[in-house]
Amino acid sequence: MDIWLIVALVIALALFFDFTNGFHDTANAMATPIATGALKPKVAVALAAILNLVGAFLSTEVAKTISGGLIREGEGGVQITPVLILAGLIGAIVWNLVTWLNGLPSSSSHALFGGLIGAVVVGAGFGAIDGSVLVSKILIPAVLAPVTAGVISFIVTKIAYAITKKRERDGFKRGQIFTSSLVSLAHGTNDAQKTMGVITLTLIAAGWQDSGTGPAFWVICACALAIAAGTYSGGWRIIKTLGRDITDIEPAQGFAAEAATTATILASTHLGFALSTTQVASGSVIGTGVGRKGASVRWRTAGRIALGWLITIPAAGLVGALAAFIAGLGLWGIVLDVVLAIGAILTIFLRSRRNRVDHRTFHVPEPGVFVRPKKRKGKRR
Amino acid sequence: MINWWSFVEVVLAALISAGLLVTLFSAALRLGDGDARWRRPLSVALFVLCGLVVAFGIYLIVPALHAFGS
Repeated sequence: MDIWLIVALVIALALFFDFTNGFHDTANAMATPIATGALKPKVAVALAAILNLVGAFLSTEVAKTISGGLIREGEGGVQITPVLILAGLIGAIVWNLVTWLNGLPSSSSHALFGGLIGAVVVGAGFGAIDGSVLVSKILIPAVLAPVTAGVISFIVTKIAYAITKKRERDGFKRGQIFTSSLVSLAHGTNDAQKTMGVITLTLIAAGWQDSGTGPAFWVICACALAIAAGTYSGGWRIIKTLGRDITDIEPAQGFAAEAATTATILASTHLGFALSTTQVASGSVIGTGVGRKGASVRWRTAGRIALGWLITIPAAGLVGALAAFIAGLGLWGIVLDVVLAIGAILTIFLRSRRNRVDHRTFHVPEPGVFVRPKKRKGKRR
Repeated sequence: MINWWSFVEVVLAALISAGLLVTLFSAALRLGDGDARWRRPLSVALFVLCGLVVAFGIYLIVPALHAFGS
């Protein structure tokens, strides 16, 4: 089998996954500042893109194994071949796009894990998956993350409303810019790493790079650019869900939720209990909705999101498994896989054009616009 | 399996830091609104403290800043 072709395909798909990762996660940082009008939509995504770009270069700690022990790799376990990675990536990309089309903020890491699990199960059977790691690293944190962030967000929302008076709360808009920037930066240092890890592993598996070495500079550059481009393209549907559909967010709530998100993510990455950024951010928004008197949380939307989290791994896994099965047919299977993947991507893209959601959805007119007196007739501007 | 103690640590650290940031910022906004002369410098001081909390966040995010020791 032509290794060149496979490695090239894996790199292309990995970068595309990075791109979907970017636009899927813009909402985590920027949904609340866009919703409260702290930042104009275009400015917000541009800021997030720059911070993601910078963040990708800041961190050199690469995940040694992309699966984090989930799949029994190496000696006595399965060899993760580039073909399996390819199938896993197809699963992750397709599921990321499906959730985006439905405006669901779901974890991109879970999609990647799910896709890889599916591919590996087809390639090597269920024995290759470490079930206890699946429970302790993914399932339990998936419950704890939104609850933790929600409770913290609830408490700090109460604090913010207890201290400030109504007319002062517009000032929180300025604070939101800083807290959401922190979330973006943290995201860049974490998430671009995953793709770098995937590409580096593939290069090592192909024998083009020594094992145990970090990502090459061109890999870092490509991943940083892909995630920044994805972030800038803005997952407007997810921003709408997180910023508007769950609850109506005021500046004080936005600040409180972002503070809770930032604090939870930073604490979890530095104290060794990894939590998903997406789930933390969603939990914060719900918590702040419960915390403000007079605000209501649309639990139907929240339930839809939770359902999305629940099926992310099995669904991405199913697609990954199917892709791995087809790829098992040989070179033509791989070509068929890629054709099917491109077909799926195009179909989803065309579907998305039926009801457009873009930055104009979030246009908030300046408060003064409605009360500005009419210009005198005949007077030129 | 699950390291529950590290989870408790995460919750406490996140709660304290988020609470601190929001309290400081809210108090700064509250003090910035009023005519008394002593209020303004105090408000500015609190905003500066907020800035320090954010700077600590950046310090935590950027590995190059804290990885030297280890």
